[in-house]
Amino acid sequence: MLHPAAAYRSLSQHSSGHGGRWLGWRKPLLVAFVLGCTMSLITSARLTLRLAGPATIYWSFVPLAETVALAAVCWRTGRTRPFRQTVDLFFAGHGPWLVWLIGLCAIWSFVPSIRAFVFTRVWLYGAGAIVILWSAYIDFCFFRFAMRRNPARAGCDLLLQRLVSWTLIVAIFGGPAIPPEIAARLGARFGT
Amino acid sequence: MTALRWIAACLLLASLAAGTIGDSRPTHRHVILGGYHVMAADFHVHSFPLSWATLAPGDTALEAQRKGLDAIAIVGHNHVWVSIVGRWFARLVGGPLVFTGEEIVSAHYHLLAIGIDSTIDWRQTAADAIEQIHRQGGVAIAAHPLAQYWRAYDAQVRQTLDGAEVLHPIAYQSEELAAQLRQFYNSARLAAIGDSDYHGLGPIGICRTYVFTKEETQQGILDGLRHGRTVVYDRAGQAYGDPILIRLAAADGRLPQLASRVASESRDAAGFLSLLSRIAGVLGLTAAAVAGLVTSRYR
Repeated sequence: MLHPAAAYRSLSQHSSGHGGRWLGWRKPLLVAFVLGCTMSLITSARLTLRLAGPATIYWSFVPLAETVALAAVCWRTGRTRPFRQTVDLFFAGHGPWLVWLIGLCAIWSFVPSIRAFVFTRVWLYGAGAIVILWSAYIDFCFFRFAMRRNPARAGCDLLLQRLVSWTLIVAIFGGPAIPPEIAARLGARFGT
Repeated sequence: MTALRWIAACLLLASLAAGTIGDSRPTHRHVILGGYHVMAADFHVHSFPLSWATLAPGDTALEAQRKGLDAIAIVGHNHVWVSIVGRWFARLVGGPLVFTGEEIVSAHYHLLAIGIDSTIDWRQTAADAIEQIHRQGGVAIAAHPLAQYWRAYDAQVRQTLDGAEVLHPIAYQSEELAAQLRQFYNSARLAAIGDSDYHGLGPIGICRTYVFTKEETQQGILDGLRHGRTVVYDRAGQAYGDPILIRLAAADGRLPQLASRVASESRDAAGFLSLLSRIAGVLGLTAAAVAGLVTSRYR
């Protein structure tokens, strides 16, 4: 997570096509599980089966959308390794997002709710911006060293992956309020 | 790394066990005042998907019940179908009353349409949207009417609104924003509404409305809203709403006491089991993340 270039170089050299059927599932499932637990902790300040179980299922749309986007990139540029390994390596770079989610859990678990709203705003936007940049660099290293692309191609793959996955995630999460929200922001900016 | 996986598994199991055992329904505190049933409601609740919310409609309804709410309105952003799913689920499991509705999110105003069944187009003026809400038999509530939205509600439009959010979590973030909500509420004869604008962060019903109803039904609540029979308490104990009902509640004492208890218990996090669940949960997730991500070897 801290030295992604070196890590992906090393992981890339060690990969030999093994790892079993489970390989392509375990890290996406871990991300879905952390998301499900996060939803339980931030809303009720406890981990309950009632909330974490279903939330893990429906929040699995996030790793699913990311896998679909990764498949789109691999389909466009050709595979260099089995797809399950590609998925495993890609999701190995999700450390910053998990740190961000666990931070959110910690805020809503230990900070009184009124103050937590303020902390959350800082965490969502401040830490969120850092995580977006940090994870972009990690995923760039993934495409550059694990997928063995040249820098320009790695950048293009990263952009395509982000475009497909984030469009899907935002559309499912945000939905029909996005156009008026954009209009409102543009209106506020241009004074209309 | 295997040891870390075991630690993560044990912590998460302990957290889930403690959280699930402690996850009990509160005893229903039924209050009758002056011949009215007093029903606790949150009319601004969002649900996954399509509304920037984290919990599915069924989970939202059950969570509302855990927070002692008698009724909620699940309001999708510019759509009603999530609320229809929520109402169906709540009826199936004996949950709280769930109103169908939507939050009409326009570039110029946010408006809650409570008790409607068909989506209302957001590309129209607030006046037209309110008229359509009323035509469907619903109730129109100005959602977090901060100064930036005031232009959409001129004096004539404000007369047609049924209610306005006088209390919303943003009121606790800034006194200036709280004052804007109060100013809008005082600018017309409106039902006082306290809503949590729940998106999944924090407890549902952190701000709530006590509706004085003649019957414990959806129609009873809608009638209560239309006639302004509501009372809202902020965390400091300040009451907003119908002055007669506020005096009635103050003389009785139970409702202010209940509201104060809700405010202080809003995290619903007191007790050993909850503390154990939180600590073990956060530590367990951290250990799981480390153990899960730092193991990519394909030899």
